Amino acid sequence: MSNSYPKFAVVGHPNKGKSSIVASLALDDSIQIANTPGTTQIKRGFPLKVDGKIIYELFDTPGFQRARRVYAWLEEHGDVPADKRIDVVKQFVQEHRNNKQFQDEVELLDPIINGAGIIYVVDASKPYGAEYEVEMEILRWCGQPSMAILNLIGEEDYRDDWSRALGQYFRLVRTYNPMTAGHEEHIKLLESMAQLKEEWTESIKDAIDVLEMLYLEKIEQTIVEISDYMIKVLSFVYRQQIDGEEASEKEEEVAKVSYRKEISSYEHQEQKNIEKLWQHHDVEKNEELLNLEGVGLFSKESASIFGLSQKELILTGASAGAITGAGLDMLVAGSSLFLGTLIGGVVGGAATMFGFDNLYEVKILGQSLGRRELTVGPMQNLNFPYVLLGRALYHASLMSQRSHATKDAIEVKNIFFTEQIVQSKSRKILEKVHVKLRKGEKIEKELLEDYKVVVKKSFLGLIS
Amino acid sequence: MQQKTTSLTLKSYLDLHQLLELYKGTHEKNRLFALAEKEANPVELLLLWLKKNLYRVTTELNSSKYLHYLTFFSSMFGFLVLILGFSTGAVLLSYSGSEPVNVIYLLLVMVALPLLSMLLSLFTMFMGNLGVQLFSHFSPLYYLEKMVKFLPFAKNIDFSSLPFSMALSKWIFLQRVQLFSFLFSLGIFLSLVLMIISKDIAFGWSTTLQIDAKSFQTLLATLAFPWKELVPSAVPSLELVELSHYFRLGEHLDINMIENADKLGAWWKFLAMATLTYSILLRLIFWIVTHYGFKQQLKKELFTLEGVSTLLKEFRTPYVSTQAQREEVHLDVAVKERDIVESSLENRYHILLGWNFSQEQLLLIGDTLDVYTSKKLVIGGKNSFSEDQKIINSLKKEILIYVKAWEPPTMDFMDDLVDILARKEVKKVDIAPLGISTNQYKSKREDVEVWLRKLETIDSEKLEVIDV
Repeated sequence: MSNSYPKFAVVGHPNKGKSSIVASLALDDSIQIANTPGTTQIKRGFPLKVDGKIIYELFDTPGFQRARRVYAWLEEHGDVPADKRIDVVKQFVQEHRNNKQFQDEVELLDPIINGAGIIYVVDASKPYGAEYEVEMEILRWCGQPSMAILNLIGEEDYRDDWSRALGQYFRLVRTYNPMTAGHEEHIKLLESMAQLKEEWTESIKDAIDVLEMLYLEKIEQTIVEISDYMIKVLSFVYRQQIDGEEASEKEEEVAKVSYRKEISSYEHQEQKNIEKLWQHHDVEKNEELLNLEGVGLFSKESASIFGLSQKELILTGASAGAITGAGLDMLVAGSSLFLGTLIGGVVGGAATMFGFDNLYEVKILGQSLGRRELTVGPMQNLNFPYVLLGRALYHASLMSQRSHATKDAIEVKNIFFTEQIVQSKSRKILEKVHVKLRKGEKIEKELLEDYKVVVKKSFLGLIS
Repeated sequence: MQQKTTSLTLKSYLDLHQLLELYKGTHEKNRLFALAEKEANPVELLLLWLKKNLYRVTTELNSSKYLHYLTFFSSMFGFLVLILGFSTGAVLLSYSGSEPVNVIYLLLVMVALPLLSMLLSLFTMFMGNLGVQLFSHFSPLYYLEKMVKFLPFAKNIDFSSLPFSMALSKWIFLQRVQLFSFLFSLGIFLSLVLMIISKDIAFGWSTTLQIDAKSFQTLLATLAFPWKELVPSAVPSLELVELSHYFRLGEHLDINMIENADKLGAWWKFLAMATLTYSILLRLIFWIVTHYGFKQQLKKELFTLEGVSTLLKEFRTPYVSTQAQREEVHLDVAVKERDIVESSLENRYHILLGWNFSQEQLLLIGDTLDVYTSKKLVIGGKNSFSEDQKIINSLKKEILIYVKAWEPPTMDFMDDLVDILARKEVKKVDIAPLGISTNQYKSKREDVEVWLRKLETIDSEKLEVIDV
């Protein structure tokens, strides 16, 4: 009964993207993917385990290397009825298990003769060739449920030609590009796999449920991660002991640099956490691009890409200032003729025009024992939270949609980002939290929940 | 036994906090643990997990230090309070022989003061942080704790690192206030009992206020309501109240009082029952309530400890893994130093072979590429091995092999190539990876590189690759 779960062997010609498909389906970016034929030397099972129980297993296999010789052997030994052909294949594997010449074929046929379904992968961006028929014949001899995947590695499209040929050998023919496939395509492919054999349907449906749950869980966790990070950074205060009564210019500059460094390290850590959450362990290879170093956190470019536009920023700045102003009006019970709201709006709007440098809150705090403390932060720039949030959401969206087969570096696209993904209505909730954090106040639980709802809505909008 | 391990205490709360700072487990391990304890609720799960992993904390437990402090402090202070209560009782009941003990004094200390203290506790229970801070200042315990924290035995405890919120501290404080008040009242009660047994005390009542005996008796009867049915003799009668009323004017006691001295002693039953009911039993009820409040708060705080929500999530979320068990085996390619790439085809070859091409395709290629050959033959593809072998055995001089650039070389091709190169009659073998027909057979550089990497594994001077 331990072997009753569905198994699928991903097979095909060398360099047709078998490993990429397995990496994408197994959510494993550690699988070696290269354009050198024969990269995959042994079969590797990738079981989908839920609480230790295997739901299904995928096998990454080496490509066919000597298909004609194998087929010749089968024909020579296979003057048997169709229902006995699998025994001939088994006999071939048995006899050649220690034969180096057929190591690849033995590795790829082994899971199939042990009951695995066949997923035959071809590159449909290249013309069909009759030489593939030998491979398809061998697979037909195995008599296992089978489907073909049209993988579009290049730009051309020969899917029609391939479909006509593959349709004669395989029960199902589906297009799946592991480099671009996201969660939905993954689920669709699994649904196709579920159709291959009636006994497998239930297990694959369970797997789909689990993967759906896992996906939603990851989204929730992403929102928690981003929200926590936002609160941490926006309320961050850098502290440094100073000897004199006042901080020297140099001391102030050093403290500011340390403040920035600390915030950058928070961003780096947040990105690492998100990458780990979405199971991208190999991202480090492209670190300089992935951590958006090219577009520094405090740079003008970052502000223009991820922050709010000048118009929106003034409105947001004005509304943030107006909150303080309105508070003043409330204190004097409106006797200020709501002048506070007006002044607050103007001051808040003007403040957003300054750069990052002038908007740190730098304080000297007296301490016991004659020493003083220089503090930098929290960041007072109104646009900064949007830059921070935009970058975090952008990075998280890339990670959530990134195929585990891809090794490409990611690039920052020049888009007006936060403004587009966070609706102006929702921005009010964000702003409430940002204002409190700027003042070093505590965020109430309910407000934090509202904040998370806005972040989630923005994230979902981004990945939909 | 199971109950013991799964009961939430201050110790388990502190231990869990300390353990989570050190170790959080992995999703896989935590989920497997939870699956093995299917019947347990979240609190029980956390406590069982704590029990299983507490050995990981190798330093002294914060709970041991804190509970040692708490026990020591409570015992010392509790004992002092008991003595204080006893002494207070003794002072209040001291009877000089010239003037009776004023029942009103006793009632103020034995009933009014505890009731006031309980009222403050009640307010504190339902008050927010500000109220708690305000009310706690009325308790001597508050000041005592402040002082005790500076004593050497409390100095090795880092109170700021303990996970006590304002609310939890409030319940711990309230619970202890009830305990010490209980001990104080017990001291008074014991003192009363001892005095009654060992001395002849005459009770009376005296006040500057204009209260007549009838009103005073009504007030006392109201106070005695809880035990009126149970111990009727502990309810002062109007006659007793009238008889006990005295005034300080005049040098001597009322003659009536002296004549009825034995009757005045009957007050003790009322006083004993009042102390027992209002100072001891009611205080016990308050202690139970605050203990319950403390437990509820502790449970609430347990879920807010850092790491607990993640732990609980890992307990209930299925652990999904997709990783392979087997290590990946990488291909080692032995690359030769010699460059085998040529950029253009020669016009003349003795024989042209098309690997995996059909005759028709070879003819079409011939129309595009200007290459003269005496023979164009097909190998690979759907040919049988004997057909291929026959062709290979006939090869000589210069050979050009067209291959599909986008199809990487298989060992099937390599086998044939090695056979061709092994023939003495063959002087030269040029391999031309071709692109697709719509691109005039021009190959892509990356496709040619794939061929190159594979062909570099063959060490032969006859072999060249043509990048068309």
